[in-house]
Amino acid sequence: MMNTNNSLAFMQGVATFSLLSCLGLAYVINPIDESLFFQATDNFVSAIYGKDVLSELNNSVVAGMLLGLFIGTVYVFLGMNKKVYNYTTLSLFVIVLFIFFASIMGYDQVPYVFTQQLFLSAWIGLPVSLGIVGIWEKSIGNQVLSAFLILVMPLGLSGSTNDQIYPILGFVFSFMLYLELSYGHVRYSRLARIMHYSREYEVVLQWFLSTLIITLGLTTALTSLAFLFHNFLGDFLPYSFSNSIEYNTIYGQALSVLVFFILWAIIQTLFSRGYLARQVED
Amino acid sequence: MWTRKAVFYVGFGVILVLFAPFINNLQLFLLGTTILGFVAIHSLVNTRPIEVKITRDFADDQVFENSGVSVDLVIQNKGRPVGFLEIYDNLPSEMEVSKGLNHTIIRLRKDELVINKYSLECRLRGQYRLGNPRLRIYNPSFLFYYEADVESKSSLVVLPQIEQIEGVDMSTDFPKMYQGAMPIRRIGTSGEFYGIREYFPGDDFKNINWRVFGRTRKLMVNQFEREDISDIMLVLDAREITGTGTVLRNPLNYSCRAVASLVSFFLRARNRVGLITYGETVNVIPPDTGERHLYRILTALAEVKPAGSLGLHTILGDLRNFTPRSPVMVVSTLESDPTSTIALREITAREFKLTVIAPDTLDYDKESAIISPTVYFTASASLDNKISEARSLGARAMRWNPDNVLSTSLAEVTR
Repeated sequence: MMNTNNSLAFMQGVATFSLLSCLGLAYVINPIDESLFFQATDNFVSAIYGKDVLSELNNSVVAGMLLGLFIGTVYVFLGMNKKVYNYTTLSLFVIVLFIFFASIMGYDQVPYVFTQQLFLSAWIGLPVSLGIVGIWEKSIGNQVLSAFLILVMPLGLSGSTNDQIYPILGFVFSFMLYLELSYGHVRYSRLARIMHYSREYEVVLQWFLSTLIITLGLTTALTSLAFLFHNFLGDFLPYSFSNSIEYNTIYGQALSVLVFFILWAIIQTLFSRGYLARQVED
Repeated sequence: MWTRKAVFYVGFGVILVLFAPFINNLQLFLLGTTILGFVAIHSLVNTRPIEVKITRDFADDQVFENSGVSVDLVIQNKGRPVGFLEIYDNLPSEMEVSKGLNHTIIRLRKDELVINKYSLECRLRGQYRLGNPRLRIYNPSFLFYYEADVESKSSLVVLPQIEQIEGVDMSTDFPKMYQGAMPIRRIGTSGEFYGIREYFPGDDFKNINWRVFGRTRKLMVNQFEREDISDIMLVLDAREITGTGTVLRNPLNYSCRAVASLVSFFLRARNRVGLITYGETVNVIPPDTGERHLYRILTALAEVKPAGSLGLHTILGDLRNFTPRSPVMVVSTLESDPTSTIALREITAREFKLTVIAPDTLDYDKESAIISPTVYFTASASLDNKISEARSLGARAMRWNPDNVLSTSLAEVTR
């Protein structure tokens, strides 16, 4: 049986892996050259320098993620020593300034493509570096920002369909795992410190981990049920409505899903009990 | 109850489900549905009502100030298994957890019994109610929580600390019917030497002072003091003003400790001790003796709270029936009491052997910036005046700095 510290480290490890995997799958589902975010960056950089700098985007994803992983990890390690952290931040700031001024003054000793590629990779890796800091430095703000960027940065207008169902399912599973484990780690590690890493508390932690896996499995089943509910609802609705174009597209499906969860909430409210805990006598 | 996380999840899920169709994005749609499904599933995990039995066991339900007591919080599950149960045992603010925690997070299986042990440091006298324990159940992903108080209260009496007093002569001049251990200035048979006199036929041979005989060639016999039971009345000032200072360091707390120590000392010497407290009302415990009486007085002292503004004169009526010429000890700062001069004069006029102990916390209050230097000097001068006044009436009066040992301070005035 693991002890509390090992369980918490396990949560961090799996959360980091989930973070990488969900970002990777996000780019598999949404090709980077169709990403609105990167198109905007491309336009912005091109407008300043007059050059098309983001020409080989697809090859950059893996490099970007690795760079993000590197930056995040370095940041976490630097956080262990305040002095080293301050010097490193200052040095990085000076280097960036030098590159910027060198570029303006036309002094291009560092290959132009290389610095731009580095810049691009840093952008791609930004959710990873933020996420790693969030996971390992227990910052919920970073976790939320990283999750938001994972969703937003790869987003394009081409959309995604049933053909990509497996990468989508993988993305959803790893994204949820990342959110739950990283947030859970922050909360449970805080409580572990208060509870002095006791054996009783370790049992609670084990319960969380096992329940998370089971509930993720059950969530998949419930999601499938919510989708099936669309067909079920179609049988009850008037023919003209259930056979309308709107109902049989993703719009109709969205409405069915919301109706499904509203019904769920109503039923649960009706069956919930008025008290929570009561003292029992022998 | 929904946590902020649950509200955020539901809001975010709904936005994704509604927004995804606009960009024909199955990925976001599926993610939104999954998030809603996750919340829905979690609304069923560890959220049903629980049934528990919580009791508290003490090593001792009566303890003295500045001592510890160990508490066993026994939690027995009588209902469904509970994954995440947070229990916080409510404690009075005057008590400090010295070992273990009054807060625990456990997993309870069906019919499981868990004992959470912790120790309390009782730093202030009083009668306390511990409980009710507060329960909080979280679902594993912190999406929902429920709080409830469970009916389980226990009372704990913290008696004032007793200081060992030795060699304090509070002797009375008035002999009682039964001999005891309190020496009075009369000739008797105790071990305490009183004087010598000439031998008369019939005197016990063992009392002859052979050393004097060797020196003077005259038969002289030793005389000893008579020991007697004495009635002693202690008067405690519990007016609101005596609570000035910090929760722990205020004249009333020190007065209670002084009274407890004196009561214990006098009762050990088989005297009869009574207690009068005045403040909001006047409460009288008539003189009595024995261990049970000691605990009666200590319990009364534990319950004393600073309240009211009755003057010292209000106790005069209760002293009327008290044994004449017996010791009366007033433990009071006599501060802001215009009746104190008349009352002290009345007590000494009735020939009670009066001792005034004024616990002095003014120095501490000044150092802790509770009172200003001006107030300090005024209060200090006023206290000195009261003490001088009491002494001029023939009373033994002293300013007692609670940092000093009481018996040492008392010995100085009873010399």
